[in-house]
Parts: sequence; structure tokens; C-alpha cells
Amino acid sequence: MKERSDAELVILARSGDAASFGELVARYLRPAYSVALSVIGRHQDAEDAVQESFMVALERLEECRNPDRFAGWVLAIVRNRSRNLIRRESLRRGDEIPANASSPSPSPERAADISALRSRLTEALNTLSEVQREIVLLHDLEGWKHVEIAEKLGMPSGTVRSHLHFARKALRVQLAEWKDYRKGG
Amino acid sequence: MNTEDGKRMTPPRGSRGHDRNGGPAGGIRRALRAMDPEYERPGYWDRLRTSVMKRASLELARRRRLARVSVAAILSGWSRRLIPVAAAAAVVAAFLIGTEVRQASDASPPLLLEDILANEVGDGAFQAVISGQAPASPVAFMALVEGNVP
Repeated sequence: MKERSDAELVILARSGDAASFGELVARYLRPAYSVALSVIGRHQDAEDAVQESFMVALERLEECRNPDRFAGWVLAIVRNRSRNLIRRESLRRGDEIPANASSPSPSPERAADISALRSRLTEALNTLSEVQREIVLLHDLEGWKHVEIAEKLGMPSGTVRSHLHFARKALRVQLAEWKDYRKGG
Repeated sequence: MNTEDGKRMTPPRGSRGHDRNGGPAGGIRRALRAMDPEYERPGYWDRLRTSVMKRASLELARRRRLARVSVAAILSGWSRRLIPVAAAAAVVAAFLIGTEVRQASDASPPLLLEDILANEVGDGAFQAVISGQAPASPVAFMALVEGNVP
């Protein structure tokens, strides 16, 4: 079956079609998280920003004048919402989505490793500019192509490549000491 | 990042054109996977999506209600406007039809010289037409043509 375009889904979601809105959420949940993380830098707050942003987007769907460009529109909401969250310093903490029973927790050693790596990565990412973080996360974490990022963030493809190049270069320097990184993961 | 429905499963697809086999960029990609919440908590994205949809349910229900009301309002507004317009149109149509029927019964077809010649009417009737003294009424004229004039 042909995949529905963002514009079709937005129009249906405006009438309250839950499946269409659900599809939009599924498409842009992870990129939204990457954007929020690039702005806020903390998992829990990024998660909150993403949830709130999708609520705001749903409430303001009529303001999305060009539904074909829903991705750029919703990511802009995420970015603004994340900045507002930081500004207001009203970030909620310690209220993560409860993991269900079928999700095995990592072993203490592995959890410690992941935690250490994440801290190192967060430090490294914090040395980048916000737009560099956003692009490197969308590209290397989310797997978006240069052209997709350019189109959805509304910037020239060359600019995206340039930001990605400098972001990776900076990350390499920052992560050079990380032994797992040097071993190749 | 991983996903709930098979799309974009690990590893991320950003490997095109850059260090496909674990070069520096590939190393960064692998390292960045630790930033993916799914990496540590399988099913994370499913749960987050469910959570978003749960929060959205009220607004979606409001929108569905609004959409139903809008359709009903359009139909209702349409019928409210249509009934008086249709009534007015019926009155106008009845008036026009009545007028046309009256005009049709009153009108006498004009008598042309060509008609007289073509129908080989008698001399009396022909003279009457030429002199402009033919009777206006078709009945009287037919009587003249048929020679029944007293």
C-alpha cells in the first residue's frame, strides 16, 4: 500500500483521525527527540519537550499552512519548546515513561558503561553549536540524509554538509580518549 | 535508532557515503547509538509513542466532535437557506408559466401574403388581405376564406 504523504496525514489528523496523527508521531518522534536532545542535552528533558511539542503541534495543526512541510514545522516547535523549557527552568525530572516488564534492564556493568559513554558523548556534544548538534544527531543517530536534513530544516545542503563535517571533526577530537571509541565501538 | 514497526532499525542508515566500514564517522555513529534511549531500554520508542497518543486522545476526540458538528452545521445552514430560495423560485416559476399560457392563448399568428398565396384562398379573401380589411379574428378570417361570410 502506498505510504501516505505528510500532507494527507495532517489533513486527516485535523479532523481528529487518530491513526493519521499516530503515523505522523511515528515518523517524527525520533527526529524530534534528536532535535530536543541537541537543544537541551538531557534525556529526560528532551523526552518531555518531545511529548509537549507533539501536543502543541496537534492543538495548532491549522497553523501548519503547508502540510507538505510538516516535518520542518514540527521540528521548529520542538526546538522552540526545548529552548523555552531551558529558559523557564521548569524541567520535570525523574518521571520517565515506565518501562514495561518485557523490557529487560541492562546489567549493572553494561548500564555503567552506557552511562559513562553517554556522559562523555554529552560533554562532547556540548562543545558543538546547537545547529551542529542537531545535524549530527539527525544524520548519525537518526540516519537522515543530507538532502532530507536540508529540506526539512530549510537550509542549503552544502551548509548541512559543512556543519556535519565540523561537528564530526570536533566530536572525533573529544572522543579520541574514549577507549571503546578507538577500538571501534 | 530502532523502531516499533520495522522502520529504521539499527544500525542507522546514515552510513551512505561516509566510512561505510567503520571509519572515523562510523565510529561516531556507533558511539552516538548510546544516546538512543532504545539502546538501553528496548521498546522505548513504542512506549513513548503510546504515551504521546494517550495524551493526544482528548484533543483528537475534540477534533472528531468538531468535524461532525461542522458537517451537520453546513448541511443545516444549507437547508435553511435552500428552503426559502426554493419557495421563491417556485412562485416565480408559477407566475412565469401562467403569463406564458395567457400570452399563448391571446396571440394570433400574423397573416402573411405568402400564406394566402400558398393556400390558394379565394379572391374575396385575397382582396380583403391586400386592402388591409381582413378580419383580425382567425375564426372570422377562416369564414371569409371558406366563403361563409354573410
